[in-house]
Amino acid sequence: MSHSTDRIHPAAKMHATEYQAGKISRREFLTRATALGVSATAAYGLIGAAAPAHAEQHTMDGGTLRIQMEVRALKDPRVTDWPQIANIYRGWLEYLTEYQADGTIRPMLLESYEVSDDATTYTLKLREGITWNNGDAFTAEHVAHNFRRWCEKGVEGNSMASRMGDMVDPDSGTIKEGILDVQDDLTLVINLTSPDIALMASVSDYPGALVHPSYDGGDMTSGAGLIGTGPYTLEDLSVGVKTVLVKNADHQWWGAEAEGFGGASLERIEYIDYGTDPAAWLAAIESEEVDMLYESVGEFIEIMDSLDLVKSETITASTIVIRCNQEAEVNGEKPYADVRVRKALQMAVDNSVLLELGYSGLGEVAENHHVCPIHPEYAEVDNPVVYDPEGAMALLEEAGMADYEHELVSIDDDWRKNTTDACAAQLRDAGIRVNRSILPGNTFWNDWAKFPFSSTDWNQRPLGVQTLSLAYRSGEAWNECAYANPEFDAKLSEAMGIADADERRVIMKEIEQLMIDDGVIIQPYWRSIYRHYTQHVTGAEVHPLYEIPQYKLGLSA
Amino acid sequence: MGLFLLRRLGVMILTALCLTFVVFFLTNLSPNLEKLAKTQGNMRMTDDEVVSWLENRGYDRNVFARYGEWLGVVPGYVVEQPGGFRGRCFGEADEVPPGASTFCGVVQGNWGFSSVFREEVGSIIATRLGLTAKLMGFVMLLMVPAALIIGVLAGMREGSRLDRGLSSVSIVSTATPEYVSGVIFITVFASSAVGLRWFKGTATGAMENATFENFALPVLTIALYGIGYIARMTRASMAEVMTQQYIRTARLKGVSFPKVVLKHALRNALIAPFTVIMLQFPWLLNGVVIVETLFNYKGFGWTLVQAASNNDIELLLAVSVVSVFVVLVTQLISDIGYVWLNPRISVT
Repeated sequence: MSHSTDRIHPAAKMHATEYQAGKISRREFLTRATALGVSATAAYGLIGAAAPAHAEQHTMDGGTLRIQMEVRALKDPRVTDWPQIANIYRGWLEYLTEYQADGTIRPMLLESYEVSDDATTYTLKLREGITWNNGDAFTAEHVAHNFRRWCEKGVEGNSMASRMGDMVDPDSGTIKEGILDVQDDLTLVINLTSPDIALMASVSDYPGALVHPSYDGGDMTSGAGLIGTGPYTLEDLSVGVKTVLVKNADHQWWGAEAEGFGGASLERIEYIDYGTDPAAWLAAIESEEVDMLYESVGEFIEIMDSLDLVKSETITASTIVIRCNQEAEVNGEKPYADVRVRKALQMAVDNSVLLELGYSGLGEVAENHHVCPIHPEYAEVDNPVVYDPEGAMALLEEAGMADYEHELVSIDDDWRKNTTDACAAQLRDAGIRVNRSILPGNTFWNDWAKFPFSSTDWNQRPLGVQTLSLAYRSGEAWNECAYANPEFDAKLSEAMGIADADERRVIMKEIEQLMIDDGVIIQPYWRSIYRHYTQHVTGAEVHPLYEIPQYKLGLSA
Repeated sequence: MGLFLLRRLGVMILTALCLTFVVFFLTNLSPNLEKLAKTQGNMRMTDDEVVSWLENRGYDRNVFARYGEWLGVVPGYVVEQPGGFRGRCFGEADEVPPGASTFCGVVQGNWGFSSVFREEVGSIIATRLGLTAKLMGFVMLLMVPAALIIGVLAGMREGSRLDRGLSSVSIVSTATPEYVSGVIFITVFASSAVGLRWFKGTATGAMENATFENFALPVLTIALYGIGYIARMTRASMAEVMTQQYIRTARLKGVSFPKVVLKHALRNALIAPFTVIMLQFPWLLNGVVIVETLFNYKGFGWTLVQAASNNDIELLLAVSVVSVFVVLVTQLISDIGYVWLNPRISVT
């Protein structure tokens, strides 16, 4: 790997000791160490392991790969709300860092980065010799420009603003003065006002693609929207039908030479939209109209296993959350403002049953606090929710809500619907009255955060604190539970300032317990995700964040 | 005749106006506009962001004014926003362009812009209608001759074994909706579940390159339903004609049976099925919704589904206009055809 830094973060060394003592898993170690700026190779070195040599499959040069994926209209990357959209512009727009399937974060457009021990100063070093496909050299000023864009809170739907945390000035809705310091063409120093341990992970997320300074937030399919650093360019985009990426012949892609990258062997990549019905995806791969699926879900996984296909699997921190909106009013009252009601709902549900019935057991049982065992700061809680239907009913009676009929809303799809159905069935078994509503996708997303009682799917984020700050902090846009607990907020802000995951775990344990005690969510399981593709496709392993880095794809010779 | 056509044209325009206004009104109800804002902006926008999104795009005004705008009889909106102007007729600009037209609606030939496909509505309709026409063409080629043959064979000897057999088949086929027959076909002929795999279970490839393999199932699925229906009509009509006095006379004169059927009975028996066949056109146009969705064939029916589920206002309006046009034109043709087939009927 060309990414190198002589300085190894002291916490990383400490983690290495922990790993050797058997206190943390290898995956956890890798996420933590790389988040602190240690290269993956060095991180493997710290624990006396060799970095895995990526299996050298013989890929041929050129060829066309057809992928089944929803084709949505492109948007300004920072407001992008679907990984599928990013998987199109990922062909020409690239990221500062890359979150890899094994939990490590590796620099991409960056050569390396260093984090100060208190996680307030980040020194970003850009890779040398990167050019945009219009010929401009890629400089630290461009990176600063993107940070400024990400911090524009006033832009409707800009989700990067919430990932930038304290960099955003709450009054002006733009980046605070003095945060960015462009030292030379290849060095950018970021001086945060409060520690943020997740910054390098945040910028690897799909809305974090770097755009050219001349891009003004308009059309992505022409002009400045197509200026990027990546190896491909857009040939055609027909929303809902098909989109075609072709190798950008006029552009010298930096990754061709960079160690650890390379590839981009395909001449042409076609994304074909087969709608949202998994049966249609099956039909597509069975009829040999596509070579690779975006995702295999539910019962179709088994059917596809029986075909002559390669199956790729990864465990994720993606999940479904069945939550009460604490502020929601139903017939003039707030049924879920009472913690006893929320606790009762939690206690009436056996999470393992939901995993079995809702997701065919394709995952891990979760503990109602939205921090996944693969997150580095995960802590086991002392008082988890205990399945107790009788106790639940007793609590409801105490709260005077025993006769209340709950309306449980879900989207009309495969696993989310089934899981919510299973939840409703369990609540009914406990004697709680439940009325199920199933809404089509567009109607559902219209009000997703406002339903009094509903299920929502959440994709994974590399660190546990990230999801918590996005979804459960008071007043956050995506806080669908309307959870507002100053104690939780304070503890979370404190946790977000602790670069060392072990120290963070101490407070994380309290945060997790708080989530459970406040009965915020029923979170039944963590999903594993799957993908099937034909034998001759290479580099198409499913990514926990659904990323499809085109440069890795190929066809075997 | 001229007056008849003129009257029909008037009815068509009036119907189109009424229908589009209804569609316009429904798509502009505030929850639908909120949906539009969220699908176009960011799915997880806050309420304030939704309001400002809608204001910046002129969606917050009177529904009549906006309908007039779409028609092209009311000047298009111009909204001032941070960093420039946004107008219906010129998009986004720093300054209102001096050459920009004030009116830009259907009257001016501007069908608007599809918010979900990010394309001119006119070109979307043209492409998608073309694809559906291809599907419908093959369906008609299969359906009409097959249905007429079955109907005539069944109706020429009412009550015979042939009649009973063919009638049963057509009742079964017309009683099976597409969403049932389509799924059965895919399972039996296209999946590894049964293992026949003669055809492809998806027609996505047929949009560019239709082959027997990828196009047979959708065509068969649609045609099968129509075949049964038209065949039943033809049979009833044929059976009635075969009991007429002039047929008996012809038979008694010693004319051979095939000749009686083909020369004497057929033309008269075709009047009723002709109307039914013409009515199949508008029915196909929207009835293909299920089949196009099932087989992922992106034609007009699929466009309708996408436009409706994304509240794509201008695309939905154009779809309605096309539908009105197709329904009324095929009815017109069927009326004129009636006159041609049966001289006793007159349009005037």
